[in-house]
Amino acid sequence: MRYEEWSGIARKASKRSLWMVHFCTGCGAIEMPPVMTSRYDMERFGIASMATPRQADVLLITGYLTVKTLKRVVQVYEQMQSPKYVIALGSCTMNGGMYWDSYNTIKRLDKYIPVDIYVAGCMPRPEGIMNAFLKLMKLIDEGKARGWERYKKYYERYKKNQEMAFNFVKKEEKEEEKNEGD
Amino acid sequence: MKAIELLGKGEEMNGRAYVKIDKSELEEAIKTLKENGYNHFVMLSCIDWLDDGEFELVYHLWSYEEREHVMLSVRVARDGESMPSMHELFPQIETYEREIHEMYGIKFEGNPRLTPFFLEGWRDMPPMRKDFDSRKFTKDVFGNISTIEEEEDEGI
Repeated sequence: MRYEEWSGIARKASKRSLWMVHFCTGCGAIEMPPVMTSRYDMERFGIASMATPRQADVLLITGYLTVKTLKRVVQVYEQMQSPKYVIALGSCTMNGGMYWDSYNTIKRLDKYIPVDIYVAGCMPRPEGIMNAFLKLMKLIDEGKARGWERYKKYYERYKKNQEMAFNFVKKEEKEEEKNEGD
Repeated sequence: MKAIELLGKGEEMNGRAYVKIDKSELEEAIKTLKENGYNHFVMLSCIDWLDDGEFELVYHLWSYEEREHVMLSVRVARDGESMPSMHELFPQIETYEREIHEMYGIKFEGNPRLTPFFLEGWRDMPPMRKDFDSRKFTKDVFGNISTIEEEEDEGI
C-alpha cells in the first residue's frame, strides 16, 4: 500500500482517540468540567485528557494568554509529538476579546502557534466545545487539520513572531538602533 | 470609631475609618493600630492621581475585636518620591510593595526584594500608571506582528 493510503487509515483510527492536554489559564477552564464529566461526557467520542504534552494529540487553549504564559504554551506545543492539533477557545484567543488593548495579552494566537480550530464565544458553551472536537475529527479524517505541518514549514516566521512578542523593542530603542546603523 | 480616637484624626466613610496621614507619621500610626488590636493587614493599594501629580497609597487594616476597617491614606509625589518600607511591621507588606513598585514605579526604601515580579522582560514604563498609553503600546508591540497566512496553492 502507498503511504497516502496508510496515512488515511491511520487518520481514521486516530481521530477517534484524541488525547487532550488543556492549558487553562484563562476563564475557559470553568467550561471544561461539564464537558469532561457526565453531563456532556466527551469520552463517548474518544476524547480524554492526558497529563503530559508528550503523549497528547490536542492542545486546548482556553482564553487569553499573556506574554509570560505564551512562552510556556510554545514550550508545551513543541513538546507534543506530531501529528498535533490546537483548539483555541473564546474571543480572547482570536483578537484579545475584552482585553484587546491590554498591555499584557497577546491578542491573536495563530500568529505564534498554528491553530486548527477557533471556537467563538465569551465563553463558548460546552456544546460549542463538543462541536469543535467533532469538527476537528472531521478535519483530521479529511487530512485538513495540518497546523503542525504549517508550524514546521513556517517555523522561522513563527519563531520570529514569538521573539517579537517576548522581547518587544521600545520605540526609542528602535530609533537609537537605526541611528547607530546610519 | 476606635481607630479615629486612637490616631486623633480621620473621618468615617461608609462604615470604615478613613485617615489621611503624612508619610513621616505612617510607621507610628501602623504601630499604634497594631498594638491596639488592628493586627490584620488586609492590603496595600495604590491610586494614580495624574492631575494632582501624586500617588495615593492606602494601607488597609482590620481589627477582629472591634470589627473595624481602617484605611490609612498617604500621598507621595509622582516624580520619583520614595516611601519608607513597612515590611518590618507586617511581613506581607514586602510583597505588596514589590507589586506596586513594578506596576507604578514607586521606590520603597528598605524593601530588600524590589525585583521584577509579574512582568517578564518588561522594558517600558510601569504599566498601571495613568500616563501609560496601553492602546498605543498594544499597537506598537502586537500590531507589528504579521499573521502567517498559508499560501493557497500548497494546501497546507
